[in-house]
Amino acid sequence: MDGRDLKTVLENVKTPPPGENARKRAVNLALAEFERTQREKEKNFKGSGIASRLTGMTAQKRRDPMKKKYVYGGLATAMVVVLAATVSFQQLLENPKGGFTAELTKVDLSVAGTPADENVSASYRLRMAEADVTRVEEALRTGQSALPTPMPQKEMAANTAGRSATEMPQNFVATAPSVVMDDTVLQPGYQDIGRDQFENFEENPVKVVREEPVSTFSVDVDTASYAFVRRQINNGVLPQKDAVRIEEMINYFDYDYPLPETKEEPFKPTVTVVPSPWAEGRKLVHIGIKGYDIAPDEKPKSNLVFLLDVSGSMNAPDKLPLLKNSFKLLLETLGPDDTVAIVTYAGNAGTVLEPTKASEKAKIMSALENLNAGGATAGAEGIRQAYGLAKSSFDKDAVNRVILATDGDFNVGITNREELKDFVERERMSGIFLSVLGFGQGNLNDHMMQTLAQNGNGVAAYIDTLSEARKVLVEEASSTLFPIAKDVKIQVEFNPATVAEYRLIGYETRALNREDFNNDAVDAGDIGAGHTVTAIYEITPVGGPRTMDETRYAQAEEHKADTDFGDEYGFLKIRYKNPDSDTSKLITTPIPAKEFSPQRNERSATQWRNTTWSTAVAGFGQILKGGKYTGDFSYDDVIELAQSAKGDDPFGYRAEFINLVRLAKSAAAMEKNAP
Amino acid sequence: MTEPEEWELIGLAREGDSRAFEALVTRYYETMYAIAYKWTRNAADAEDVTQNACIRFARGIGSLNNPALFRTWLYRLVLNAVRDFQRQVGRIHLHEAAEETAPQQPGTDASPESALYAKEILAEVYALPEKERDAVLLVFGGDLSHGEAAQVLRVAESTVSWRIHSARKRLVKKMEGKNSRRPCHGWPRPENRA
Repeated sequence: MDGRDLKTVLENVKTPPPGENARKRAVNLALAEFERTQREKEKNFKGSGIASRLTGMTAQKRRDPMKKKYVYGGLATAMVVVLAATVSFQQLLENPKGGFTAELTKVDLSVAGTPADENVSASYRLRMAEADVTRVEEALRTGQSALPTPMPQKEMAANTAGRSATEMPQNFVATAPSVVMDDTVLQPGYQDIGRDQFENFEENPVKVVREEPVSTFSVDVDTASYAFVRRQINNGVLPQKDAVRIEEMINYFDYDYPLPETKEEPFKPTVTVVPSPWAEGRKLVHIGIKGYDIAPDEKPKSNLVFLLDVSGSMNAPDKLPLLKNSFKLLLETLGPDDTVAIVTYAGNAGTVLEPTKASEKAKIMSALENLNAGGATAGAEGIRQAYGLAKSSFDKDAVNRVILATDGDFNVGITNREELKDFVERERMSGIFLSVLGFGQGNLNDHMMQTLAQNGNGVAAYIDTLSEARKVLVEEASSTLFPIAKDVKIQVEFNPATVAEYRLIGYETRALNREDFNNDAVDAGDIGAGHTVTAIYEITPVGGPRTMDETRYAQAEEHKADTDFGDEYGFLKIRYKNPDSDTSKLITTPIPAKEFSPQRNERSATQWRNTTWSTAVAGFGQILKGGKYTGDFSYDDVIELAQSAKGDDPFGYRAEFINLVRLAKSAAAMEKNAP
Repeated sequence: MTEPEEWELIGLAREGDSRAFEALVTRYYETMYAIAYKWTRNAADAEDVTQNACIRFARGIGSLNNPALFRTWLYRLVLNAVRDFQRQVGRIHLHEAAEETAPQQPGTDASPESALYAKEILAEVYALPEKERDAVLLVFGGDLSHGEAAQVLRVAESTVSWRIHSARKRLVKKMEGKNSRRPCHGWPRPENRA
């Protein structure tokens, strides 16, 4: 910390304007005291030549205007009040520009990545700041009150909510230095969050190994939850608990898990056992999987149909315009022979662009540009047309995929979720997959997005910024578009001789029945090229702090010798299918009953970093879900773990995460303070 | 209408001109209040302190021999009023005050994140030993030179420099301490790796 830091902090302490009455009282008291002192002087120094001359003069001067004093006083005070208001409000405006905004912009820029993004966000913010200053200067010139007149609460809420849904671009809420806005935005409660629909679920409970030794779930490579959570927290509000899917937060980040040596095996699990950072005596079993990445020249052709929601509710800067820009980004990653088609749905579904080769970029661009939002949503009709187009240009060697972009409901047509689900599932069998991109907030039907993507062998991603669009559509384009394994299921069998209890962190919505694991007819999640999947169990070793007492008869049974596998906590099994196969393959590896101890080599360092980072994210997710199992593990602990494992972070996603935890910490503090 | 210069007003007030005095005290009320707020972190307390400072102003203006020292004189005036006030109240409720006022002005600067960081630093500044805290508030909060701060506090300039140095060291240690606690429950240490 240097002097400049301190200076900024201290200068940014805002002094609330003093009360007018207090000022009047103080000035009048001072004046009375002043006059009393003068009188005393007069008395004390009577007789002394100079003093008597001086005091005599002042006494003369003083007495006559005495009666007018309060008039003067009142006038002068009134003038000063205006002046003071001007000064303090201008300070208010100047400070954010010179002070913390600079720092914040820096953080934002490092996240933003490409120069284009930087320019957009920085210049936009600057313009907003300038607009604000101008507005206030205007008010000052025209003699209107310079102090921010408190808007009636209701009106303000309506304004803000309205704006966030219509004209306010992303990030504006959190960062624009508008005094009135910030004040309101940080008050939780009024935001239009209630209409976003999430599937209700409880955190996975602790299970007793002797009663239920086998845990089965499907992989999940979606990241929508993280982006949604981020958006909420950036708005100064903690997310709804159901919006937090811990596995999606963990899987948002990329991990350098070791790759399989050959392509025959699409991925290889890495198992790490570490002490649990939030519960003494417990341990974490950390399972990491990375799918092999496709070299650019091995990429299969893509046959993509964009199914774009252009309903009236998409008419917001963070929806349709962002969607257009996002797809432009995606276009850049396509090869010349890949085909693109666009179908819109809004009242009447319409084909905007017949399947067109990506090399005809101008044609695609102009079709995109001509899209306008308006009308009701009829998702189902659109979906039929989109699949129709995908079929018309179907190429069995290509990746045939419909990419649905929407902000929420499917208001007209097949509104029955099951029916739509079945439709998507049937089409999946015929080789056309579906990915879903969510936009905007307030109307988002997360549950529907998840359902469709899961049944369509695709990913569900939530896109709130252009930088997120780049992450999903460009950096992860190959994993989003090219599946390397489908129906990937994980099953862990715990060893009752060494493990007393276990709890799977996250994956609540992906739980499978034990018998589903070997049933190839049961659908599960897919892994794309380069995707990483991480799962973390918290276990209580035998003899550790259990949450449930051992039953009386189980205790009796304990003496049975099952020592053969005493050096194993359990056994990991992964089942998957190749993208074009219907028969599953199996990968297995034992989970050693031995804690990971970092060695002095690169591999070990990477493993340590992967484990620490994902544990930090898991901790954060659990705190956001209420901290039922994490004891006094705090936001600070998350930051601490995360800081130590930040690594290279070339795109700034990890720095952004740490920033997010800090924001969540202050949002939590504010919610606590709120009445 | 040209405003009379500060030194003219001071001169007149010293001679007993009550209108000049009123103009002067009105003009500097805001400044004094801002200083008082910096030390009390509470609007009501700051108003009380400023009121007392204004009365001291009336008593003391006659003995301000060098108008060039007006600024530091004003600071001393307010600081003395602050000390009197805190003695009267019997306790320094700086921390509560800071907590009280913080939620009313949430993140006006930029983001809750930087506001939080600022709040942490502020809390540490106000937790400094009194002498160091005063030096820090004067130099970094009041934009006074070490020499001016020395005049306000009636100590040698080198003493102010030393207090600033010592305060900064303390703050750095405190803030670092916050950022580098060991992970709990025996998380493997990064030092062990390559």
